[in-house]
Amino acid sequence: MTLIMVVDDDQDLSEMLGIVLTSSGFDVDLVSRGDEALEVFRNNPPDLVLLDVMLPGIDGIEVCRLIRKESMVPIVMLSAKGETQDIVRGLEAGADDYMQKPFRDKAELIARIRTRLRRTNSDVTGLLSIGDISIDVTAHEVRRGTKLIQLTRLEFDLLVALAKDPGRVFTRDALLSEVWGYRQTTDTRLVNVHVQRLRSKVEHDADRPEIVMTVRGVGYKAGGNS
Amino acid sequence: MNRLQRSLKHSLATRVILSTVLLSLSVVSLVGSALYSRLADGIFATSLNSSLAESRYTFFNAEYQVLASQSLSVDERKKALAEFVVSTSTQGINEERREVIFVRTPTLITPINSYEMSSDIIKVSSIPADLRKRVQESPKPQHAYALARYNNGTVVDSLFVGQRISIPTGGRYEVYIVFSLKSQSVTLDLIKNSLLITGIILVLLIGLITWLVVRQVVRPVREAARIANQFTRGDFSQRMQVVSTDEMATLANSYNEMALSIEQQISRLENLSRVQQRFVSDVSHELRTPLTTLRMASEVIHNQRNSFDPLVARSSELLVAQLDRFEGLLEDLLEVSRFDAEVAVLEPVEFDVISLIKRCAADFEVASNISTPEIQVKSDQGAVSINADIRRVERIMRNLLSNALDHAEGKKVVVNVIATDSEVGIGVRDYGSGLDESALIRVFDRFWRADPSRARVRGGTGLGLSIALEDARLHNGELDAWGRPGQGAHFVLTLPRKAGELIDSRPIKVIPKDFHQEVFYQ
Repeated sequence: MTLIMVVDDDQDLSEMLGIVLTSSGFDVDLVSRGDEALEVFRNNPPDLVLLDVMLPGIDGIEVCRLIRKESMVPIVMLSAKGETQDIVRGLEAGADDYMQKPFRDKAELIARIRTRLRRTNSDVTGLLSIGDISIDVTAHEVRRGTKLIQLTRLEFDLLVALAKDPGRVFTRDALLSEVWGYRQTTDTRLVNVHVQRLRSKVEHDADRPEIVMTVRGVGYKAGGNS
Repeated sequence: MNRLQRSLKHSLATRVILSTVLLSLSVVSLVGSALYSRLADGIFATSLNSSLAESRYTFFNAEYQVLASQSLSVDERKKALAEFVVSTSTQGINEERREVIFVRTPTLITPINSYEMSSDIIKVSSIPADLRKRVQESPKPQHAYALARYNNGTVVDSLFVGQRISIPTGGRYEVYIVFSLKSQSVTLDLIKNSLLITGIILVLLIGLITWLVVRQVVRPVREAARIANQFTRGDFSQRMQVVSTDEMATLANSYNEMALSIEQQISRLENLSRVQQRFVSDVSHELRTPLTTLRMASEVIHNQRNSFDPLVARSSELLVAQLDRFEGLLEDLLEVSRFDAEVAVLEPVEFDVISLIKRCAADFEVASNISTPEIQVKSDQGAVSINADIRRVERIMRNLLSNALDHAEGKKVVVNVIATDSEVGIGVRDYGSGLDESALIRVFDRFWRADPSRARVRGGTGLGLSIALEDARLHNGELDAWGRPGQGAHFVLTLPRKAGELIDSRPIKVIPKDFHQEVFYQ
């Protein structure tokens, strides 16, 4: 069974999320305090974390940072505040995706969770490369020379999406649909923040990117193989 | 000249210094000339008295010589008179030069012997005619000031003293003594020059002193102006320095008190704004979490509606629909309060506005289960790339389209896009019920509805157009509305193509091109 850890201080919402997720076939671990989240996470590692931003103890963004330090597990932030800086802070702390309360509908929540849990890019196998980075899609490993680079599953997906189609320029909307599984959304903050995070891990100099190139006014593309 | 005028107009210091210098210049010149004429009068009076005394003695002497030489021959008499002239004249010394002239008074009969003589180097013609007349008429010595012309060409200020004298068998003669006033002139010149130099130096010193004094006053004024200027630019920490207890210090103190009060009020307002922002954020959090639970719960119930009896099933449908509406209203209210608190931020990206409009139009056609009128998107360009907040532009377009569809009465809706180099105009035209003049004024008001009795098809919140206007203005853009009852409405959004720039033209006029009727009002 797939285990989902829900960290939210609102008892009723947690319970409701529990009902919805259980009825969709997931196991659920409910945590109501930020400072308890990490312990529960260690004792019973989940496959995905749903994390509220405002939590008693330590806040969701800090919890996200702590979890990210020791695990590449998919994290989806739940935000009641629609303010950009909260969303960006969450993404920068390592969250893969966020959902703004109230969710459009139950189906949207389940769809997002399934996208994040999906074994990525089943259509691509073998070895890919961008610049001096080599990607072993099957083994889920990214290396520069012999040095292993740790990427979250989402960062890996983003890199593979660019690498498997070198030369193509991806608009942000295209990446949102390809990597996040979004339809009809124009939220480019997700893409921007994750590209920045990916660059900080794979580029020699994040200010002068050679792996994930910006195409001004359009989007991104893979850097040339040199 | 212009610079001086400008300086006079704008600089208190220049004005004060200039007027002080001019006034002191006139005072100094008045005092100087009065002093000069007093001194000149005094000097001339002294020399006149001594010269007259000397003259009286000389004339007496001359008369004595004439009397004494009565018995002598004509030649001997001439010789004696010549000796007298020579001994009386002083020669060679420029300063104290004195000449003696014997000149015959013209008579009808010219005598045989002429005793006219002079110390030779002075021209007889330089004796003023007026003096000669007086001398001829009066038995007493007469005097006059005039220029003495010498044979060698020099001209010297001189005092002429004359007396008539009779020479027996020789006729009537006039004796003139010419005293050179050269030394007095030199003294007076010296005095004049000294006065002039002293005056000029005095005026300059007064100017300098005024400058120093004015600077003391003007400098704090300038400093105050500079500080007030910085304050205006938003640096509220600026204060004037209080270094004394004079009027400037009073000014500085009052200014500082004013600045403090303004600073406090601003920080109070900022605080209010922060409280408001905080409130918005809290309401947002507090309302959204239960709303999320409600939505999920209602959905679970809604999904089971087939197993309920019809009344409960219908109730669950209403519950879901009203929760949607509630959520929409909450979002719009939060957006409005963000605008009111001025915390709305622009997040510009580059995107193609035409594909955005097409996508919005397609969503309306798909999403609606009511029969939706056709939406035509027209543009002479395939793509118009702009730099703007895509989320807000999308919201504006959805609001305008939803509004147009609500009032289109089943007729088509046309979206026209025209771009210039710096602006893009988007016109949304419907041919439905339209708007009258009073409605046009209020169309962007919050919660205002064109026709309250009309059923709402799409269930807008009543905040859509007002938010659209705020969104447009946040881009430095504009949203204009036009309408005629029964002839439809036209909403025109104008945005700068680059975020942060201003619009200076409207690519699409708000009066639609297909409206040809004469304009009666507006």
